[in-house]
Amino acid sequence: MENEIVFSVLAVVAVVSAIVMISAHRPIDSALSFIVTLISVAALFGLVNATFLFVVQIIIYAGAILTLILFIIMFLNIKDENLPEEKYKNRWLLVTSILILPFSVILINLILGSDIAVNSVINENLGTIKDVGLTLFSQWILPFELVSILLLVALVGSVTLSKRKD
Amino acid sequence: MNTFLILLPLVLTMLYSLVSVPVLVWMERRIAALIQDRLGPNRCHIKGIRLGGIIQSVADMMKLVFKEEISPSHIKNKFYYLVAPSIAFMSAFLTFMVIPYADNITINEKIYHMQALPTDLGVLWFLAFAGLGVYGIIIGGWASHNKYAILGSMRATAQVIGYEVAMGLSLVSMLITYGTISLNEMVTYQSQSFSMIPAWGIVLQPIATIIFIVTAFAETNRAPFDAAEGESEIVAGYHTEYGAMKFGLFFVAEYIAMAASGALIVTIFLGGYQLPYLSTTDLINHFELVLWLIIAFTVVSSLIFLKWMRKHNIFAMKGLNETKVYTTIIIVFTIFAIIVMSYYALGFGHAGAVGVMILQFAIFTVKLFFLHFVFIWVRWTLPRFRYDQTQKLGWNILLPLSLINIFITAIVVVGVNYGN
Repeated sequence: MENEIVFSVLAVVAVVSAIVMISAHRPIDSALSFIVTLISVAALFGLVNATFLFVVQIIIYAGAILTLILFIIMFLNIKDENLPEEKYKNRWLLVTSILILPFSVILINLILGSDIAVNSVINENLGTIKDVGLTLFSQWILPFELVSILLLVALVGSVTLSKRKD
Repeated sequence: MNTFLILLPLVLTMLYSLVSVPVLVWMERRIAALIQDRLGPNRCHIKGIRLGGIIQSVADMMKLVFKEEISPSHIKNKFYYLVAPSIAFMSAFLTFMVIPYADNITINEKIYHMQALPTDLGVLWFLAFAGLGVYGIIIGGWASHNKYAILGSMRATAQVIGYEVAMGLSLVSMLITYGTISLNEMVTYQSQSFSMIPAWGIVLQPIATIIFIVTAFAETNRAPFDAAEGESEIVAGYHTEYGAMKFGLFFVAEYIAMAASGALIVTIFLGGYQLPYLSTTDLINHFELVLWLIIAFTVVSSLIFLKWMRKHNIFAMKGLNETKVYTTIIIVFTIFAIIVMSYYALGFGHAGAVGVMILQFAIFTVKLFFLHFVFIWVRWTLPRFRYDQTQKLGWNILLPLSLINIFITAIVVVGVNYGN
């Protein structure tokens, strides 16, 4: 019962802040409401006992990536009069949400059929550091290594691009 | 007893963070005065009792609380402006939650954790909320609509991003060494000793210790890395537009962040609540002997303190005679403590587990305050780094050094385990 109350509060906060993020006019409002979304999603991870995912979500997304985004927003120092006008924004939002509706029905059906929805915690170890580590390094070792090579390539690429002399 | 033992670590967290702030401010000023060869604040008193000057910081706190709340008229985003100090304060406070103050205690076959939040996440929890703390500075600087404030918060952000990487990597090498992320298990690991040397983190991993301490200074924005509030260049940096208790929250947050990183350094590198060579079970098994040693130590130290106090406390005040009051309090307290301790030491009562727990709190507190002393000592000894030097130190020296350290640690750990 308590779990359901906490879940509903967190879910409402996550959804509302996500909506604010895409509909806000100023980039800083978007960035800050995105932080709220990320933290409430992290708390949802915590609710299903996935402690490692909870803490990694906060360290990497809320702690590191959003700090960089905010840093860039502050660095550009955009004034309110320089922002685009966005006259038909609400109309666009309405049209896209109607277009997306069928897809979200499929998505909701898919989620309702999954293990987590049926019994809230599948097993005690889901998402703890040991479980995540064992799964990553035994079952998914090849994709994991490929992703890390991809990240390395992106890193080297960005360094060479920024060092290029025109 | 049950509720008490569960609430105890929470109360201790409040004590070590919020309540210790006036003491830390007092330490900061008196040690600064000591280093600069002057006296520091020591005149403020209540009926002649000065407590060495602590009353001064209480008065300062009262001033901040009762000052008029002013918010400048040019601020357009009131919400962000007001929420920023509380974000800084909250995340600093939350980092404290996972520090173990004593070993897990078993009473009536129930295990109580002496952590405010008994989770296995340990170090990761600290990293998560230490990283969130910078949002207070970013949002505060941005909402102030002031060039100095924005410059200050940008400096702070860039610095935290740079040093968080090195901090995380130096912690990774500690995780490889201990083989766990739970802080309590780390402390248990450090109770062993290799021949004569205790297996503390500082002995096993001196490079990681140095990197972590340097990055902890940078993360908490304390000197020599406090370019974010460099008053000679950018007035007061990110809190230029803040006054009264809004500034007070930033101020308290800085001290709590310092206390939290000090506590983490104690836990990971300085053996936490352990005495060298003595594990918790040893202490419980030889509790009577330990108590006799503590009694002897109490008598000697309170006599020395009494003599020192009577010689130096010569400043005449109106009101009560301070020296007399202190002498009475010290003598009464020492006699009371000796009576209580000898009651247990002579074997009339059994309080082994609880007694060892209190002893471990005391050890932790002593180590923590030693770390506070180091933080303050460094602040008043080293000059502030120029900003580009700060960045260069973070990215060009600490980051490669911690990567090399992880590499060597991994090789050694795998080699040792391979032999077994």
